[in-house]
Amino acid sequence: MANSLVPDSTTNGSPRRLGAGELWRAVGGWGARLVAGLHQGWRRSLQVRVVTITLLASSLLVGGFAYLIADKITSILLENAEADVQDRLNSGAAYAAKQLGLYHKPEEAQFQETVDGTVNYLAGGGPQQATGVVVALIADNAEGVIQPRTAPAVDNFGSLISPELRATVAAGEVASQISTGRLGETDTKYLTYGSPVPTQFGQVELYYLVPLTRQDATAADARATVVGTGIALVVLLGLLAALVTRLVVLPVRVAARTAQRLSAGLLDQRMAVNGEDDLALLAESFNQMATNLQRQILRLEEMSRLQRRFTSDVSHELRTPLTTVRMAADLIFAERDEFDPAVARSAELLQTELDRFEELLTDLLEISRFDAGFAALDAEPTDLVPVVHRVVGRLACLAERVGVTVELDLPGGPVIAEVDPRRVERVLRNLVGNAVEHGEGRPVHITLGADETAVAVTVRDRGLGLKPGEEKLIFNRFWRADPSRARQTGGTGLGLSISLEDARLHRGWLEAWGAPGQGAQFRLTLPARAGDRLTSSPLRLVPADVRLPCGGPREGGLLAIGPGSAGALTVGPAPTDGAEARP
Amino acid sequence: MSRQVLAGLLGGVLLVTAAGCGIPGQTEVRVEGPGPAAETGTSSGGRSEPPSRTAADSREEFVDNFLAAAAGEPGGAYDRVSEFVVPEDRARLPRKEGSEVALTVVRLLAEPVIVPGPEEIQVTLTVQQVGQLTADGVLAPPEATPATYEFGLRPYAPEGGDDIEWYVTNPPNVLLLNVEALQEYYKSRTIYYWSSDRLRLVPDQRYLALAVPEDRLVSEVVRWLVGGHSAWLKRAISGLPDGTNLINNATRTDDRWEVNLDMAGADSTRLNLLATQLVWSLPELTGQLELKIRNQSQVTIKDVGEHRRLNPVYRVDTIPQPFCVYEGAIRSLGPTAAPMTTAENHKVLSAGISYSGQRTLAALAVEAGDGRQRLAVEAGSAPLTSFTASQETFQTVGRPVWLRSAHPQQPVGLVAADDRLYRFDEAAKLEPVQLSLGGVTAVAGSLDGHRLAIVSDGELYLAAVSHDGDTLAVGPPRRTHTSLSGLTAVDWYGENSLVVAGSKGGKRVLYEVDVDGSRETKLHVTGAVVTHLAAYPAHPEAPYGIVMYEANDVAYQGFPFERITPDQVRDLAPNDAQTSDPSAPFLLF
Repeated sequence: MANSLVPDSTTNGSPRRLGAGELWRAVGGWGARLVAGLHQGWRRSLQVRVVTITLLASSLLVGGFAYLIADKITSILLENAEADVQDRLNSGAAYAAKQLGLYHKPEEAQFQETVDGTVNYLAGGGPQQATGVVVALIADNAEGVIQPRTAPAVDNFGSLISPELRATVAAGEVASQISTGRLGETDTKYLTYGSPVPTQFGQVELYYLVPLTRQDATAADARATVVGTGIALVVLLGLLAALVTRLVVLPVRVAARTAQRLSAGLLDQRMAVNGEDDLALLAESFNQMATNLQRQILRLEEMSRLQRRFTSDVSHELRTPLTTVRMAADLIFAERDEFDPAVARSAELLQTELDRFEELLTDLLEISRFDAGFAALDAEPTDLVPVVHRVVGRLACLAERVGVTVELDLPGGPVIAEVDPRRVERVLRNLVGNAVEHGEGRPVHITLGADETAVAVTVRDRGLGLKPGEEKLIFNRFWRADPSRARQTGGTGLGLSISLEDARLHRGWLEAWGAPGQGAQFRLTLPARAGDRLTSSPLRLVPADVRLPCGGPREGGLLAIGPGSAGALTVGPAPTDGAEARP
Repeated sequence: MSRQVLAGLLGGVLLVTAAGCGIPGQTEVRVEGPGPAAETGTSSGGRSEPPSRTAADSREEFVDNFLAAAAGEPGGAYDRVSEFVVPEDRARLPRKEGSEVALTVVRLLAEPVIVPGPEEIQVTLTVQQVGQLTADGVLAPPEATPATYEFGLRPYAPEGGDDIEWYVTNPPNVLLLNVEALQEYYKSRTIYYWSSDRLRLVPDQRYLALAVPEDRLVSEVVRWLVGGHSAWLKRAISGLPDGTNLINNATRTDDRWEVNLDMAGADSTRLNLLATQLVWSLPELTGQLELKIRNQSQVTIKDVGEHRRLNPVYRVDTIPQPFCVYEGAIRSLGPTAAPMTTAENHKVLSAGISYSGQRTLAALAVEAGDGRQRLAVEAGSAPLTSFTASQETFQTVGRPVWLRSAHPQQPVGLVAADDRLYRFDEAAKLEPVQLSLGGVTAVAGSLDGHRLAIVSDGELYLAAVSHDGDTLAVGPPRRTHTSLSGLTAVDWYGENSLVVAGSKGGKRVLYEVDVDGSRETKLHVTGAVVTHLAAYPAHPEAPYGIVMYEANDVAYQGFPFERITPDQVRDLAPNDAQTSDPSAPFLLF
């Protein structure tokens, strides 16, 4: 795999060292990827973990047993060979002692022949014997007088009998040693046993050199068999673990996938139930749960649909009699001057409440349209500056009445965006109307901002503000901050809900910020091109002049919230950026 | 982290498994225990060996020592002799190895003549060639012919000493050995081979150097047995299969000797025969004997002495009965009566009677009238009644002898008549024996029946003979060199010795000689020519031989030799004149 990463030296032309470095880096990168992949696999797959642990544990066990068995086999083979050689050595030494004991001095005639004959006899006959056993008779204490002899005749047997062994045996001990040497064409391990042979004129030494080729081969065979069996066992165990884990993990995965699909709304997804085991029970329970959930959800959906339908139907059904009532009330209202003052007052009240009623019906119908999904965006490039002016102009009399001044902060040029102007105007009218209404007589500030991707309008009042948590609640239908509070403008309680739906229709945001005693600010952010996805807003949601509990940011600076020590959040001054990024 | 630990452990285990449990290539020396302790030697080594060059105090002694120097184990003969020779002349000595070593055995006919010269002392030896002592202990017929050997002596005075030493210069190109040294430094041994029909053990004489330790005796004898018999016995003997060899030495464990052989076609019969051979060839042997063929135990003899008792070499009476011819009839000199009826017992000149199983074989030389002689033969149970006379008549018929054959139903006798050797059977049918010798005057058969001693033209010859019932085959005769001359009579006096009558130094003497001529022992001075000679040979069950002879018409028997007087003769007939002396004495056994 790394070979493909070796740079072509003909095209590269760089020194080999560079190539090696690149290769090394490539290998390192490959290794890092491999490690990362393994790590990911380890983290993600239960099967990988189980199989890995099984492999490791069984490798340890099997390896340990394999070592024990192989070691035992080798030692048994060696012990057998040793016992065999020792027996032969003992009988051979006794035989040699008898043979050589017939001589009183080594110079006697036939002594050397007897040495030869003894060695040949002990080696098992003539040189045609191919057992590989070498028998040597050496006289270390009488060198020169007695020629050392081996059978079969070999020249360099001395290289196989180490000086230490010769010294030990010459000192009158029976001793053994395993050594590697070369008598034939290949290196062979020899088990060498030596024994002193007492004679009437001193001592000679008898050595048996037994090749361990067969034992070595047998040990290697046994080792290979044991290792092979062990590896096969480990692989089998791994496969077994994989299989068993797979049996468990597969249904779990199916369950997870089914749950994911369920959560994605595919409520008719079910698990296959096979057999009667635990997993089948799980699947059955899961399916039961899914069925129950589906039934519940469908029931709720049906109820919701019925409710929306009911609202829509009621609104439509109310509109016709209301039109009739309205016409009658308009007639009465036009003639009120002719009634006595109490009735005239009632006619005026009737007119006002009918206005509210009509307004409520309109809002309900609008909401119904949103709920039914009939709301359609009629987007066109629109300059938002006139829209703001128009909204402010329409609410000027209300503002004047409650003594609120409306301050505008608009860009010098036009702010063009692909929006539905009717809906944007309705949203702004709602926001500015609310601000004026809750402004407590303090000025209301409207800011229009834009960048390449989005336009935003913020409406800031300095009224009572919002309690923590109310930023979300205020967009609920018919929600009121203080239900006992007297209504001045007589709003329907659906304005912000409709505004939120309008903003969503534009794939925009409508958000609120507020703090007790510091007023509130609403921000409408819309994409500059219809259908684009918003990532940030050109304006800040939280006003710059807000007092924060921790002393606030530096003069005009931003506040940053980030991770602190011991898992806590720290709040501190942020780098001064012009805009706020939404997470 | 545990994964690394696990992986490390796994790797370690695999490495150890793969590499750790093979047979190591090299180990330390491991001491298994003390080696076997040396057993104290039971016999002392270094038995008598000839004296060294510097041992002599006189020139005569030095010459004697030189003639004994070759004695000992054959392998060292050259070295021992060359010690005596000045270095520049050593090349004249024959240097041979192993089985080719041969010592020239001579008998000094006179004292060495030592003549001092201006530079060197000249030594002249007058010798009789006796034989060649080969490496396998056989004293073979001589190959060299010189009757004299000459060599020089060079005096040499080593520094710092008063003694004078000598060196031999210009030595003979053979390794000389005096017969006296042969007697002194060798022991004569009798080993046995089976006859060609494997029914009789035939002795073969060997010489073993006394320098050979006793422990090696068994090995040496077995080597002789497997190495083959003396050449002259070829006709009579069946040897061991070719390629038979002793594997290493025969060894003794406590009271048990083990002989390990390499032998083709060995079966228990063959091995039992070999065991009997061995047991008789090693009379010193006691205890057990185990024969192994290529290390496989085949035959075990629990008690060697018992085996000898059950398998005697010879089946002969241990007490021979003396007889003589008196007044033309065979008369007993002992308790046993003559085994024939009186009617047949007349005109007898000499007789040869022996037992063969239950039968008595009798061959008589009888007068045929006109001064002629013929043979009369009868075989059967005693008393013998009807003798068959031979067709042929002769001028002289010697004392007939019966071959002690292993085939009692077809007995064969031999007789020297008119200077020729004849064979005869129980029907008195005579046939001349094909022999390269002329002037045969006497013949004697050994106890084993496979060796003949023949006197031809006053010389002693030995020949092997085989008789399978029908045919009688006599091998080429081998001359035995004795110091006697003019031999007239011969008989066997032991397994390997003969008693001969001849003259030595102008005197008529009886000598005991070995079959190879090496040993000569004077038995008696007879004073007259011995005309009849009969002996009972010593053998393993009868340690002493008996000799009877007739000289000057008077019979004698020993020992000590005394004249046989007529009153010693038993069962005399009433008509016997009792005027002459008993003659032609013989022994019945």
